[in-house]
Amino acid sequence: MTIEETARPAIRTVDLTKVYKDTVAVDHLDLEIRDGELFSLLGVNGAGKTTTIKMLSTLTAPTSGEAYIYGINVARDPVKIKELVDISMQETAVARKLTVEENVEFYARLSGQTRDEIEASKKYVYAAFGLEQVAKKQAAKLSGGWQRKLSIALALVSKPKILFLDEPTLGLDVIARRELWKTIRELKSQMTIILTTHYMEEAEALSDRIGVMKAGKLLFTGTKDELFAQTGKTSVEDAFIEIVAGGESDA
Amino acid sequence: MRESLGRIITLTKRNIKEILRDPLSLVLTMALPLLMEILFYLIFHKMTAQFEMKYLAPGIVVFAQAFLTLFTGLLISSDRRTSFLTRLYVSRARSYEFIFGYALAVLPLALAQSVLFFLVGGLFDTSMFSARLVPAILLSLVTSLFFIAAGILFGSICSEKSIGGVSSIVICGQSVLSGMWFPVEGLSGGVLTLMNVLPFKNATALVQNVIVGVNDSFRDLTRPLLIVLGYTAVMFVAAILAFRRKMKAD
Repeated sequence: MTIEETARPAIRTVDLTKVYKDTVAVDHLDLEIRDGELFSLLGVNGAGKTTTIKMLSTLTAPTSGEAYIYGINVARDPVKIKELVDISMQETAVARKLTVEENVEFYARLSGQTRDEIEASKKYVYAAFGLEQVAKKQAAKLSGGWQRKLSIALALVSKPKILFLDEPTLGLDVIARRELWKTIRELKSQMTIILTTHYMEEAEALSDRIGVMKAGKLLFTGTKDELFAQTGKTSVEDAFIEIVAGGESDA
Repeated sequence: MRESLGRIITLTKRNIKEILRDPLSLVLTMALPLLMEILFYLIFHKMTAQFEMKYLAPGIVVFAQAFLTLFTGLLISSDRRTSFLTRLYVSRARSYEFIFGYALAVLPLALAQSVLFFLVGGLFDTSMFSARLVPAILLSLVTSLFFIAAGILFGSICSEKSIGGVSSIVICGQSVLSGMWFPVEGLSGGVLTLMNVLPFKNATALVQNVIVGVNDSFRDLTRPLLIVLGYTAVMFVAAILAFRRKMKAD
């Protein structure tokens, strides 16, 4: 069964717009993301990817337009939305002086989990990210790769139905990046994932569907095959450049 | 309500761990003022009554609380810089729960300061070991809330780099306008009026008066207490508003 056959919208935006002073960060965005898919949002810096994610995760209020998560209006019912979503930011966001274990316990308690649930959460994220071996280490003393893994792992502690990963592999070396890809692939079956990235090969390797943004506007949504068919290219990177820059970078 | 209390306790515990694992903060808030208490007493106590331990110890207690502003501000601005707070905003915790989490975590440090500086003061002047110590310590916790609220406000609006400069306003204010380092009798009317309407001298006088003895309960206790509480309330309201605004802006 394909995703399209089983799909129901996890996320739907209608004319979603965000304006900062005189800058339109997101411009009348109409987007639909299906339940259970991994959707990659691509765009150059300032395209509006992070702002879109912030609006969908209740961090930023839209200037106009609507966003729905499983039919719930994000702006009108943020408390319910917070029970459904979690986010891993671009920056590594962990409590640096707490150990890995303390970080996980902290997030679990903040999510209102019972003692048994906290233990289950620890087992779950340790298994998903191999964190057990560094569980007793202070986060600040971990390598960048481990800190990033912990940062993403914490977003899973609340067991979200929708996970936003904002440039999850930014700054990681190639080995750590590939390891993280493997983990993200394993998570795909468990939740809807919205990923932003500047690494085109990452989007190509992980995505069910891709969205391309430029200057706050959504220029394309579809599968890789649809992207290749529309642009006549055979890689996501070339197709992305074709859409965003009209193929100018080919020169 | 129970869930909210649980989140406040969780946030407080995390902040306490962050505080205890930061040696620099303990040096700034405990060791440095302690050194000042001992040195100023040994050098000056025979020269002027200002530095007798019954005045100096309560003065140092409140002076050291000014460093709580810097310290609280640093904790919050650091959490903001690393996006740690931003990701917590996606949790179910509300803005007032974050504020309580920070304030309650710093309060034990204020208590530790108070106990330490009075204890050391008492070693030099044993007459300080009296029943007055208990209300003095309790009132010093009240005065600490002003400085903690200032830290939450500054931490919410300032970057990690600028928090030191902004907090130094409070540290300088407490240092210069508290009247603990020099006699205020010789000051001109304008400066004295300023000292009387700002919280710094009132906070110091409040704790000093409990230790030294109260002649006029309104003048020596009620008035300075009301002034400090007023500034604390204003500072907390400003801190909550700034924090909520930042929750949406960061």
